[in-house]
Amino acid sequence: MAEIDIDLIRGLREQSPQAQRKALERYGNEVFALVARMLPATEDAEEVYQDVFVKVFRNIAMYDAEKSSLRTWISRIAYNESVTWLRHKRLAVIYFEDREGGAEKLTDAEVEETLGHPNSDMVQLIRAALKHLPPDERAIVTMFYYEEMSLKEIAYVTESIPTTVASKLSRTRKKICKIIKMLQS
Amino acid sequence: MTEEKINAFRQTDANLRDALRMDEAERPQMPADLNERLMQRMVVEDKKPRRIVIWPWIAAACVAGVMIIWLTPPKTEITDVVVAENKPKVEAPAAKEAETQKAEIAPIEVQDVKAVKAVKRPPVRNEQKLVAQESPVAEPVPTATPAVSEAHADIAMAEKPQKEAKPVTLTERDIPITRPENYKYTPEEIALMKKQANEAYLRWAELELEISKNNLQQTAQQ
Repeated sequence: MAEIDIDLIRGLREQSPQAQRKALERYGNEVFALVARMLPATEDAEEVYQDVFVKVFRNIAMYDAEKSSLRTWISRIAYNESVTWLRHKRLAVIYFEDREGGAEKLTDAEVEETLGHPNSDMVQLIRAALKHLPPDERAIVTMFYYEEMSLKEIAYVTESIPTTVASKLSRTRKKICKIIKMLQS
Repeated sequence: MTEEKINAFRQTDANLRDALRMDEAERPQMPADLNERLMQRMVVEDKKPRRIVIWPWIAAACVAGVMIIWLTPPKTEITDVVVAENKPKVEAPAAKEAETQKAEIAPIEVQDVKAVKAVKRPPVRNEQKLVAQESPVAEPVPTATPAVSEAHADIAMAEKPQKEAKPVTLTERDIPITRPENYKYTPEEIALMKKQANEAYLRWAELELEISKNNLQQTAQQ
């Protein structure tokens, strides 16, 4: 662990306002993006963002540097807070649910062609398809492709295991293809 | 699916990566003052006095108090005895009967005792049972004064030939102050009765202590 992180954690444990400001500067944008990605409105994201950091500052004594980095630990809290918020609000949002198992029938070649070959139209279709994914799946896909987190880190954030995350990612890829096909038809 | 294969998707799925990048770029940025608001909230929350929830403790204390009151043996018996002791003294001159009536009076009083026990004193029953369990011989009723103890010893001796086989619980009504034989005891007999009464009183006190300890233990366990 970098010395700067050790200093930051020590400062947070001492409840130093300077350290808290530093943590907000360093991880604030990332946490806000994660929260805003999962929640429907910016106002909700602001509320949950504040709750996340209040929790981080209050429970910093529980942070174990051997289990994860500070960034991953904060992401885990943000993910859990967002999921809890969604569960409590019970929003009436409809997501694509592949009940017939059509996505599983897609071949790897079809999926690779849709997601792999650079095509600006396809990018727009993928963006449309992403909106139909449930928040947790969208969060996992973003953590993997955009934030480039490892499977182990994603598993820690989502309180899961790497193999589960891997199979979820594979299923979500196929799901995106299925949604694109539905949109095209 | 192996981790390598999954990690390879990160390189191959270019469209998906681009789509996500565009989505993230278009996502609303974090408000500039959000961190400042958060810090203010932290300061306000730190200044707030911490609320300590005390009502469960108060409720527990109330329950414990009620249980102690409920489970503690009633103390009214002693006062009853004292009252009963005073009562017959007024009637004593009128109640000078012949010694021959003694045999007739005794069974009536025992019946009276039984009736009183059945009707009047349900809470005392438990205590009386406890007395019987602890020391079956220790029949005398708890007394506070030596005079009362003397009276109990007297009735115990008087009824011994008739009631030995049948254990009878005595109450303050059995105090035979009105009996003529009370005035005929020798000093040795009186001394013996006093001794017995003292012993009975001590046993009663020990028993009271045991009951109190038991009650306290039960309360602590709960």
